Amino acid sequence: MIANQVALIRRELWEHRSIYVTPLVIALIVSIMAITGQAVVSAFDQAVDIAIIGATNLGPAERAAGITVLMTGVASLLMMAMWVLTVFYCLDALYAERKDRSILFWRSLPCTDAETVVSKLLTAVIVIPLVTFAIIVVTHLVVLSIASAWLAFQGANAWHLIWRAAPLANNWTGTLIVLLALPLWLAPFIGWFLFVSAFTRRSPLLVAILPVVILPMLEKSLVGTSVFFDAFFVRTGSMPLFKGVSTGDIFAYRGDEWSLNGEVPSGLLSLVDLSRFFGSGSLWIGLVVCALFVTAAIYVRRYRDES
Amino acid sequence: MSSLVSARNVSKSFGSVRAVDDVSFDIDKGKIMGLIGPNGAGKTTLLKAVLGLTDCEGSLSVLGLDPFRQRKQLMQNICFIADVAVLPRWIRVNQLLDFVESVHPRFSRARAEELLKRTKILPRSKIRELSKGMVTQLHLSIITAIDARLLVLDEPTLGLDIIFRKEFYGNLLNDYFDKERTILITTHQVEEIENLLTDVMFINDGHIVLHASMDALPERYVELMTSGENAERARQLNPIFERDVFGKKVLTFEGIGREKLHGLGELRTPAIADLFVAKVKGAAA
Repeated sequence: MIANQVALIRRELWEHRSIYVTPLVIALIVSIMAITGQAVVSAFDQAVDIAIIGATNLGPAERAAGITVLMTGVASLLMMAMWVLTVFYCLDALYAERKDRSILFWRSLPCTDAETVVSKLLTAVIVIPLVTFAIIVVTHLVVLSIASAWLAFQGANAWHLIWRAAPLANNWTGTLIVLLALPLWLAPFIGWFLFVSAFTRRSPLLVAILPVVILPMLEKSLVGTSVFFDAFFVRTGSMPLFKGVSTGDIFAYRGDEWSLNGEVPSGLLSLVDLSRFFGSGSLWIGLVVCALFVTAAIYVRRYRDES
Repeated sequence: MSSLVSARNVSKSFGSVRAVDDVSFDIDKGKIMGLIGPNGAGKTTLLKAVLGLTDCEGSLSVLGLDPFRQRKQLMQNICFIADVAVLPRWIRVNQLLDFVESVHPRFSRARAEELLKRTKILPRSKIRELSKGMVTQLHLSIITAIDARLLVLDEPTLGLDIIFRKEFYGNLLNDYFDKERTILITTHQVEEIENLLTDVMFINDGHIVLHASMDALPERYVELMTSGENAERARQLNPIFERDVFGKKVLTFEGIGREKLHGLGELRTPAIADLFVAKVKGAAA
């Protein structure tokens, strides 16, 4: 059972190389931007020198907050890419094998339909976040190293300004939790996409997206309520994972600069509120909806006669 | 228990069409059974039911298992190539071997690699880079490396050239088949497998019209090639089918002693393809 899952998930990584290629490409772009960013900043030598001296004078808490904003910015870029990737992965997961007619070969091996569909669900909910996390950590290290090299070049003490100040473990734990929480929060969509991927005869993206757009519009014009709109769109931006703020408001534009919302954070983890997350009724309703869709996908794969 | 596949009153409908209609049969261990029928006769549906790919009415047991409900256990002991070789195009040959090795307890990787060494297939190749013949060779190598008790082949050589088809069946007999294994095979190219089969089953419109061992055919069926007056006399003996060949009449008889036809013309055992036409068209007439 577990051996089969490992084999099936490895198979998913062979087939969907975009699971690691996409975040790697983004990581590369971020790293290049970090280098060019330093180069651009170098043009303002004097101002930067003052900033570094200023940073030297800052307290550890402020420096930690500054680095947390940088790390969270990089992480959220890759997290957004992860969600797009997850959507396309799910839509393809049970559709590609039917399109290229290899499904009969897969079904000729001793793996049940449930095992196969579950392996795809686990890939979307656990494997993709873990791969993304690993790449985020590497990107953080690269970006901070680039910044350190630049600071050292300017004659500042990078160890003191960056590495001792950076709440790495705190931020990484926080990032990992956010990455794993997001697919759980958006699980009903993942379930729906897998189900569409299992049943549609053509254009899974269109079939998956149309009801999400049309149902709220119909509801609004016919009944005048917005239950579907709330379930589809308000939900997406309102994951109850952070203390007092929704995911959409985690960054705030205060005065003239972007900063993290909420209390003065000593790292991303300090903002995470797991009891609020797991205490949310919407989360559990979403998970039930996901389970129903996944069961339906298994049923379709098992019972539909393709010929 | 020598009966490997046992079907009792098996039916399967698609809407109002009964693709398989109240079919009963047994397939014993160590047989090579040919399942022969025209397009839409229900062959593939019946095979799918045997493989647990589709649900059906009636009782069907394969290796003592319910194929649909115990598909996983079943797949550990049977193999199938459905239709033409359709392996996933994105996978590499060695990845495919890795995968089958990790999910199939009866797969021998060493055996598969040994078989692949005889071909031009490279372990690093992707399936999409292989020719159609090579994909079939690969598929067959994997299947042959699985120590399965029942092998099901549904049109395994469709779209392959004649040299490859000959090789395919040659390898199947020499490398794979033994008294412990059973093969169930369907194909349109009946002539090619005629000498291979131990048993044959005709299916038409969802019904089994003939189920016999190849050894029993000469006793049960005889074909008479004749003309003129002799043909007229032979017709009195109730042939099941009559056709014209080069201006002569060929009459097919079922369950009649050859001695009764003696002196009426040339006698021989009908070829499977001709017998099939006789059974199907004869029943329709």
